[in-house]
Amino acid sequence: MSDFQRLQDEFQRCIVSGDDSVLDKILDSPKEKRDVLFGVYRFAYSSRLVEALSNDHPFLHTYLGDEMFDEMGKAYVVAKPSHHPNLRWFSQGIPEFLRANKPYSDHPEIYELADLEKALNDVFDATDGDVLAIEEVAAVPPDSWNDLRFHPHSTARRFDLTSNAAAIWIALKNEETPPDAEVSGEPSRILVWRQDNTPMFRELTAEEGMMWDEAAAGIPFGVLCSMLATYDDPDSAAGRGAGYLRGWIESGLLSGISIGS
Amino acid sequence: MTPSASIAEKSASEMNPGLATGERVRSGAKPPFLGFGLGLRPQHYNDILDGDPPIDWFEVISENYMIPGGKPLQMLERIRERYPVVMHGVSLSIASTAAPDYEYLTGLRDLARRVEPKWVSDHLCWTGVHGKNLHDLMPIPYTRESLDHVVDRVQLVQDFLGREIVLENVSTYVQFANPEMTEWEFLTELSRRSGCWLLFDVNNVYVSAFNHGYDPYTFLEGIPRDRVVQFHMAGHTHMETHIVDTHDHPVCDEVWDLYAAALKRFGAVSTIIERDDHIPPLDELLVEVQKLRDIAAEVLPESGEARQMERGS
Repeated sequence: MSDFQRLQDEFQRCIVSGDDSVLDKILDSPKEKRDVLFGVYRFAYSSRLVEALSNDHPFLHTYLGDEMFDEMGKAYVVAKPSHHPNLRWFSQGIPEFLRANKPYSDHPEIYELADLEKALNDVFDATDGDVLAIEEVAAVPPDSWNDLRFHPHSTARRFDLTSNAAAIWIALKNEETPPDAEVSGEPSRILVWRQDNTPMFRELTAEEGMMWDEAAAGIPFGVLCSMLATYDDPDSAAGRGAGYLRGWIESGLLSGISIGS
Repeated sequence: MTPSASIAEKSASEMNPGLATGERVRSGAKPPFLGFGLGLRPQHYNDILDGDPPIDWFEVISENYMIPGGKPLQMLERIRERYPVVMHGVSLSIASTAAPDYEYLTGLRDLARRVEPKWVSDHLCWTGVHGKNLHDLMPIPYTRESLDHVVDRVQLVQDFLGREIVLENVSTYVQFANPEMTEWEFLTELSRRSGCWLLFDVNNVYVSAFNHGYDPYTFLEGIPRDRVVQFHMAGHTHMETHIVDTHDHPVCDEVWDLYAAALKRFGAVSTIIERDDHIPPLDELLVEVQKLRDIAAEVLPESGEARQMERGS
């Protein structure tokens, strides 16, 4: 190992771990002691990373408050040092970290608020994809509708939350007092995607959530309508299905359609 | 200090004959003078695209666009249709003793192919070893050993990217014991041996000079006249006994004075105002961009280049 390599190892270790051994290798300046000067790097390391977490999770920061967010952020920096050259990806492990560590793990609304923020961050710069135009669907011959399959937009992400984290997010976004945290037996079905460059999310009803999940799995429209018929009034099932579909298309949630298997 | 002339010469290709994997389209030609520009920040996308601000060119942070898709890349595409663009990275870690990160280099090369920047720059520093990224610009010892290492690494990166890179002097807070040369001697040798160009960050020279107790004008005089292709101008935070390079303030008078001296030494050099934090409205930064122009016109009245870049003239 070269001297240069040894010096970098030690410099990094002393920044990350708080060890002071590298002070032997550096000089006092004319005006300041070396420990204060080295401290500039040590302080910058942790504060820059915690700031990056705050930029990616602004509402988690608001919800936890400055002190608790800072404490959480510093613990994350220690537990999950950055392994990617792009700071963009540093916060990716936050939801998992919150799920695994007390006191956050006792509060589903905290880690699920982080889930929602992470999903919104991820769709912001996710791979671009085609957006299905309504005209393309209108051109489908009526006798092909039963075999019509739908392809979700490349940015779309579907997941369930057990808490009212979505309501908390909306309140914080509107700078209102968030509702008390609640965990419900009924999951909150979340769909996150990017529309015209803007990250969006919606909560779906049980019926629309079922139809989205099945459509995304490649189930054709005819079968989807039969499924809808078991959820509510069978006579209006096709109409409801067409309504959901129109909403998805208008929101840029689909990238394309295909007919047949 | 060891005189720079005594530093052993050994080219990277001699040391690593198998590493030349790039397209070898390097020209050795000095990048063009672009005028007076600004570091592109997302807060200003709309003001730039909706207006016609008097900015000659933009420097973009490479990593902000090394992402899969979405708005940042679309905005960059629109900006580059209208303005010359330069890519400036923060994670190349050119002085790291860790193995080269080819995934990063591939991402950088792909972005450069898409953006076609006038040049690609980063910092003379390291940002981590052992797979960790500190996301900060770490100082290096100015030794023959570190110089040899960085020269090799620059050659490798230049071969991979198929172009000469531009490296910036960083603000430093510590100096290592037993240096074998000064920072300006290191930069001079690095540029001469590797062929890389230099980004002279005027503020960083001022900050490091204050922190280490040397004269910034000595640094300035120590850099060869023909290797500097860009200036950075920025603000900092004064802590009485040392200065922290925060890039969150307007440029101070001492740094403007050093800029004027740098123009005298290097002539017309592409310059930007670089603000990274507490980012003000675009108009506020345009005042500083105009000041770049005014001082250049004053210091270099005979330079057709500097005058030509004045909008409307």
